Amino acid sequence: MTRMKRGRGMAASWYGIARTATIDRAGAWAELDDGGTAKVVTGVTEIGEGILTVLAQIAADELGIKPQDVTIGDNDTARSPEAAHAGATRQTYMIGNSVALASREAQKALFEQIAEHWDVPFESLRAFDGEIWALDTNLRMSMSDAVATCKKRGVVPVGAASFTAHGTGLDPVDGSGSPWQAYVFGTQVAEVEVDTWTGEVQVLGIWAAHDVGRAINPRGVEGQIEGGVVQGLGQALMEDYQTDKGHAITHGFAKYILPTSLDIPQINCTIVEDPDPKSPLRAKGIGEPALVPTAPAIMNAIYDAIGVRIKSLPATPEKILKALRDHVPGREHIAQAAREARAQAARTNSANA
Amino acid sequence: MSKLKIEAEVNGRKITRETEPHKRLLDFLRDDLNLTGTKEGCGAGECGTCSVFVDGKLVKSCLMPVAKASGARIETIEGLATPGELTPMQRAFHKTGASQCGYCIPGMVMAATSALRENPAADIEEIKERLGGNICRCTGYTKIFEAVEMARSVIAGDLPETVLEEDKVGDSYIGANVRRLDAPAKVSGRLKYAADMKLPDMLQMQVLRSPHAHARILSIDTSEAEAMDGVACVITSDDVPGTDGFGVFVHDQPIMARGKVRHVGEAVAAVAAEDLVTARRALSKIKVEYEELPGLFDPEDALKPGAPVIHDYAPGNVVKHIPVRKGDIDAGFAAADIVLEDDFSTQQVEHAYLEPEAGIAYVDPDDVVVVISPSQNITHHRHMLAEIIAKPINKVRFIMSPVGGGFGGKEDMIYQGMLALAAMKTHRPVQLNFTREESLIASAKRHPSRVHYKMGLKWNGRITAIEFNMLSDGGAYGMSSEGVMRKAAILSCGPYEVDNLKVDTTAVYTNNTPSGAFRTFGGMQAQFATESMMDMAAEALDMDPFEIRRLNMMKIGAKTHTQQTLETASLDRVLDAAETASRWETGAPNVRGAKRGDLNGPDTRKPCTLGARIKAETKSKNDAERVA
Repeated sequence: MTRMKRGRGMAASWYGIARTATIDRAGAWAELDDGGTAKVVTGVTEIGEGILTVLAQIAADELGIKPQDVTIGDNDTARSPEAAHAGATRQTYMIGNSVALASREAQKALFEQIAEHWDVPFESLRAFDGEIWALDTNLRMSMSDAVATCKKRGVVPVGAASFTAHGTGLDPVDGSGSPWQAYVFGTQVAEVEVDTWTGEVQVLGIWAAHDVGRAINPRGVEGQIEGGVVQGLGQALMEDYQTDKGHAITHGFAKYILPTSLDIPQINCTIVEDPDPKSPLRAKGIGEPALVPTAPAIMNAIYDAIGVRIKSLPATPEKILKALRDHVPGREHIAQAAREARAQAARTNSANA
Repeated sequence: MSKLKIEAEVNGRKITRETEPHKRLLDFLRDDLNLTGTKEGCGAGECGTCSVFVDGKLVKSCLMPVAKASGARIETIEGLATPGELTPMQRAFHKTGASQCGYCIPGMVMAATSALRENPAADIEEIKERLGGNICRCTGYTKIFEAVEMARSVIAGDLPETVLEEDKVGDSYIGANVRRLDAPAKVSGRLKYAADMKLPDMLQMQVLRSPHAHARILSIDTSEAEAMDGVACVITSDDVPGTDGFGVFVHDQPIMARGKVRHVGEAVAAVAAEDLVTARRALSKIKVEYEELPGLFDPEDALKPGAPVIHDYAPGNVVKHIPVRKGDIDAGFAAADIVLEDDFSTQQVEHAYLEPEAGIAYVDPDDVVVVISPSQNITHHRHMLAEIIAKPINKVRFIMSPVGGGFGGKEDMIYQGMLALAAMKTHRPVQLNFTREESLIASAKRHPSRVHYKMGLKWNGRITAIEFNMLSDGGAYGMSSEGVMRKAAILSCGPYEVDNLKVDTTAVYTNNTPSGAFRTFGGMQAQFATESMMDMAAEALDMDPFEIRRLNMMKIGAKTHTQQTLETASLDRVLDAAETASRWETGAPNVRGAKRGDLNGPDTRKPCTLGARIKAETKSKNDAERVA
C-alpha cells in the first residue's frame, strides 16, 4: 500500500448578510472638508478585516476624492452615530451603504453650490479623484477649490444617513420568516495528502469560489477568504479546546494547536459578483461565509484519499489512524455493488418517467 | 526589591536603566522603554508576537530574562526604519495586504526580516519554515508569503521598487486594490492597542478567578487584600450599583460571580493596585469560601431529569431551542428511495486572536465612565453597562481600541464592567491586560455541536426530506447561544431547496467554558453535517458531488428552509467557478483518489517534510550561545 494517499473533496455553502431575523441598521455622517478632503464618522469599525479602507474607498468614490484623503472617525459611542456591532458579516453591507448614502448627501450639498456658481445644471456635475467638472463644458476645478467655493457661499457640505436591512423574525412554531434580505453562496474544493503511517493530513490546495455581491477591494476579499479557509482548516484538522470536568486542559498555544505557515495550502480564490439589488452599493459580504465550506471539503477529500469518513472534528492523526485500523476491508466492494444497482434503477426510472 | 542595572544598545542608541530583576526583556522594552511595537501574545514563546533581534538573532523576548539582555545589541520593530519611513519588507506587507488586525505583524515583520537577513535568496519553502514560529490568526498567511517574496525580489534587484507602490486606479475606487490605509501604522508597530496604552496615575487590575466549575460562594473576605500597601481597591459583585447582568441575548451573567460560580475561570473578585505585582499579590490575600455543587459537563446530561440546575431562571437548562418546519416530513421520507442517517460532531474551538483581552476605564471630568477596549459591540456594551452601573446612557462612553483579532470573541462584555467599577471606586484610570491562559479559560468558544441527521432522496438524487437535530453545549452562560442556534437552524440543511424538513437546534447550559459568537455563528457546524451527508448521498447514488448539489440547489424563486422566497441566488455560478478553477474531474466520491487525474497541479503546494527546507546554515557558534 502506498504510504501517501491523495484525494479531493468539495463542499458548498450559503450564508446571510447582516443581523439575523431582525431589522438591522447603521448610521454615518460625512463632511467634505477643507483641502478637498473628507471626514466620515460612524460607529464600530475595523476589527482587522479592512473595513476602514473599504469605507474610505466608498466615501472617496461617492464624494469624488481619493481614499487617502478620507479620515474615518469611528469607534466611539459618545462621538459617532450608532452603527451597531462588528460581526454578522455586516460592516461592508450596513456601514458601507450608510457611508455611501451620507457621502451622497454631502456631495449633493457641494454640487448645489457649484452648479449655481458655474451656472450649470446640477446633473451635469461629476467628481472623481480630487477633481470636479461639468459635462460638455471646460469647467473644471480641484475639489479643494470646490470646497472653498462652497464655504464662501456660506455652506458646509455635510450629509448624514441611515441604512436599514429588513430582516424579519422567525415564527416560534415553524420557524418561517425572512431572516435576511441578502444571501451569499460559496463552494470550495480541497486537495489533501494523507500519511497512512502517521495519520497526518496535509491540505495542499484549496479552490474557493465565493459570491460577494460586488468586491469593493478584491485583494481584501481574498484576504478574508484566505483567513477564513485557514481557520476552517484549523478546525478541520487540529484545533480542539478540551476540558476535563470544566478545567481547560488546552490552556496555552503549546496544547491548543493552531495552523502555522507550514500548514497553509495554496489558496486559489475566485470572486463571483452577483450584485445585491436591495442596496445602493450592491456589495454583500465575505467575512464569515469564507470559513463555512472548508472543513467539510477537507473531510470529503480525506474520504476520497483513504475511504475513511471523519464525522467528528477535528480529524487528528490519532482519529485517522484509528479509523484506518477499524476499516473493514472489502466494504467498498459491497457498497459499490449496491451503488451500481441503485444507479441502474435510477437510470431505468428516469428513462421511464 | 533591589534593582538591576541594564546597559544595552537599543535601536542604535545606548541606554542605561535600573529595572526590576523579575522582568523579561519583553516587559523591559514595553514598560521601561515604551517600545510597545513588541507585543505580548502568549508569554510562552509560542506565538512570536514579541520577536526582536538580540545581537542580530531573532529572539522571543518573552522568554529572555532582562538580565540576559544587558550588554546586548537589541533591535525592535521601531528600529527597522527611521521614523516615518518603512523598510522594503514593511512596504511589501503594506502592498500585499499582509496585515489585517495587525497584532502579530510586528513580530511577523521581524521574523520575515530575519529570514532574508539569514538568507537573502530564501525561496518560498524556506520562507515558510523561517516564519514557522509566528502565528497569524487573520490572514491565512498567504499575503504574508507574497509580501516576503516581493521584498526579497525588490531587495535583490529582481523586481523594481515601483512594485511596492499603489496600483493605478481606473475610473472608480470601487473594485480597486487600494492599499490598506491602516497598514503603515501596523507594520511599523506604531499602532497602540489597549495593552499598549498608558495613562497618568493608572492602576493595574488583576482578577481572582474561580477554581471550581460549579460552587456556591459562602463568603468572600477582601479585608486583608484591601489593607495592603499599594492596593487602591478590591471589588466584588457587592460593588455593582445597578442591575447586574450582561449577555448578547439574555443578560444572565453578572460582572463578577454573584452567589455562585458556574465555570472554572469565572471572575470572582478583582484588585486594582499601583502595579501589577502588587495586584497579583493582593489576589492571594482574598479568601473565598466555596461549597462545591455537582457539575454538568455533557450537554446530554443537562437535559436529563434531575440534572443540576445551572441558572434558576432555566430549570431545564435549555438556553434556547429553535424549530424550523416546512412541508410534510413523513410524506417526504415515505417518498424517498433511500434514507441516510448519521451523526456528526464538532469540537469547542478557541478564537485565538493574538491580542488577549485588554482595556482601560476612567471617569472623565464630566462624570462620564469611559471604557476603552477592543470591544466588537460598543453600542450594546454601552447599553448594558449603563444598566449595571445605574447611570444615564450618555454618562457611559465606550471607545473601541484597535482590535487585535476578534472573530466574535470580543462581543462579550466579560471584563469591561470590572474596569468601570474599579474606576468609579478610585476615580483613577485602571488597566486590565489578560494573560493568554486567562483569555483561554475566561472567554467564549465556538459551540461544540452534535447533529443527528436523516436525509431521504430519490434515486435521481433529489432530496425529499431532511430531519436535522443539533444539540450544542452553551457552557455556563447564555452569551450568543440563542443567535447561534437560530442561525444554525436557518442555514442547517444547506443551500438546497428541500420541500419537507424538520429542524431543531438546542443549546443547553453546562459548567463548561461558555460558548459564544465565533465567525459563522453556528453556520459551519450545521453545514459541516449537511455537506458530509451530501457527499455520502452522492456516493450512494453514484453521482458526482457537483451534480447532486446542482440538482438540489436553491435557484431564484426557491423557498428557503424558513420559507423565504429568494430573489437572487448565485450557487450555480459559484459551483461552476469552483469546478472550473480546480479542474475537477467528474465522478462519484467513491474513494477514487488513487485514480484521479486532476491531482498535483501547479495550483497546489508541495507537501512538506519538517526541517527539510532551510538551505543556508548561517548561525555562528557565538550567536547560538547567547540566545540559548
